[in-house]
Amino acid sequence: MNASEHFHTLEIRNLTVRKGGVEILSGIDADIRCGEVTALVGPNGAGKTTLLLAILGQVPYTGEIRFCRAAEHGQGAPRIGYVPQRLPLDQDAPITVLDFFALSAQRRPVFLGASRRTREAARESLERAGVAHLLRSPLGRLSGGELQRVLFALALRDAPDILLLDEPVSGVDVAGEELFCDFLSEVQRDSRFSLLLVSHDLSVVTRHADRVICLNRRLVCSGATTEVLTPENLAAMYGADAHLFRHSHADGHGHLHDDGGR
Amino acid sequence: METILSGVFALMDRLLPFAFAEPAFMKRALLALLLTAPAAAALGVPLVQHRMAFFSDAIGHSAFTGVAIGVLLGVSPSWTMVGFGVLVAVAITLVKGRTELSSDTVIGVFFSTVVALGIAIISREKGLTRNLQAFLYGDPLAVTDAEILWMAALFLLVSAYLAFLYNRILLLGIHEGFARTKGVRPPAVEISFAVVVALVVTAAIHSVGILLVTALLVIPAAAARNVARGAASALWVSVGVAVLSGFAGIVASWYLDTATGATVVLAASACFAVTALYRVARPRE
Repeated sequence: MNASEHFHTLEIRNLTVRKGGVEILSGIDADIRCGEVTALVGPNGAGKTTLLLAILGQVPYTGEIRFCRAAEHGQGAPRIGYVPQRLPLDQDAPITVLDFFALSAQRRPVFLGASRRTREAARESLERAGVAHLLRSPLGRLSGGELQRVLFALALRDAPDILLLDEPVSGVDVAGEELFCDFLSEVQRDSRFSLLLVSHDLSVVTRHADRVICLNRRLVCSGATTEVLTPENLAAMYGADAHLFRHSHADGHGHLHDDGGR
Repeated sequence: METILSGVFALMDRLLPFAFAEPAFMKRALLALLLTAPAAAALGVPLVQHRMAFFSDAIGHSAFTGVAIGVLLGVSPSWTMVGFGVLVAVAITLVKGRTELSSDTVIGVFFSTVVALGIAIISREKGLTRNLQAFLYGDPLAVTDAEILWMAALFLLVSAYLAFLYNRILLLGIHEGFARTKGVRPPAVEISFAVVVALVVTAAIHSVGILLVTALLVIPAAAARNVARGAASALWVSVGVAVLSGFAGIVASWYLDTATGATVVLAASACFAVTALYRVARPRE
């Protein structure tokens, strides 16, 4: 499929990742288009995080990952933003949100203080994410939802062409998850970056993703969300006994439950 | 080199007109501590963040072998200790990055191996034990002028290194994958950090000895964690604790007639206790 020239795209061709003699991902072909939200779904161990790491260039792979920048946005390497799932940080770590922003923004060592530019940029992106009040909070004390927003604000600061989100709503309660997803769509609509998100939560995926890539060590299927998330494809991905199971939450919040069937 | 130090000594006479600071060996001890303890404490903050306390302990114990090799070869053990410490630091870091074993397992293997090797060499060479005593417990009163100049150079090196790489070291400690997307190259940062830690640990052994050297890196940083909220205050509190306990320890050891290195570490422990009390008493936000 050829993307329109108005879009940045990420073209993944015949991507294979091996680790210790085992193929974690084999022969993946996929396109990720700017202005769209692409969801990466699949069971545990399907290679979702590995695919993100391959796009980030952090694991060796064979095949091709090509970035095509839209004509009107000039040349150059893509800026890829990455929002990790969580930070393995203890509560006591003496690092504030502002410090965290400063670490990747300024040459001046953080023990000499944050520069004014760092502080202003941090406040601006935190405001955009609705968490400006967290500027001086210790990073280790944030709740799951707060941390998600801070990480997201930090990723936005650097105006990414492509933003990779690993499990953006894990560790966040249902209400927070909805808020975050609405916020995500809003920001994403305004900017021209593409969003690739890994998610276990199929209700998030059906509601917010334009396209879906289903993965289980190889490509199960990919395409528009409504066409792809069929019972047959889910069964191929998660095993025959899996169901899209809706809890009796008032908001119709749904999870895919893997009943252990293989 | 004599002239530089005699100038410093004259200045110290002016600043510290006390009985304890009169003898030249006390001035050397003070200089040794005030040069190595703050450097160790500054490195201690990212060291604790990276959970590398055991690593610094392993480097400290590698000095056993470093000293033994020096005596065996008939060269100054102070310098073979530095070389061997750096070697072990690089080896641990390289192996850690290339295996699936957890880092404390890798360090444990190296730790035992170097200590065993040191003991094997010592047991073969009679008369080596006395040589080791000074390194085991530390003796800042016996520090030579050359060693003090080395400590001063190291102080400058650590300052420059931290000014240049502190942000990257800390970012790597928060999340490796994320740090990589911000242009941090983990192997380069890890190896350089390990080497700098090894240099400081082997220098600090002169003051507090093999057994206690990790204390100089870990205790001030731990005390700083009790009171600091941000990255800037964490580093400065840690350095402050090191300067304070270095000075207090050396003065106390003069009047109490106790081992200097151990007294300095006890002073640092007292600082930790005070900050811990402050932390308990402080209302939680």
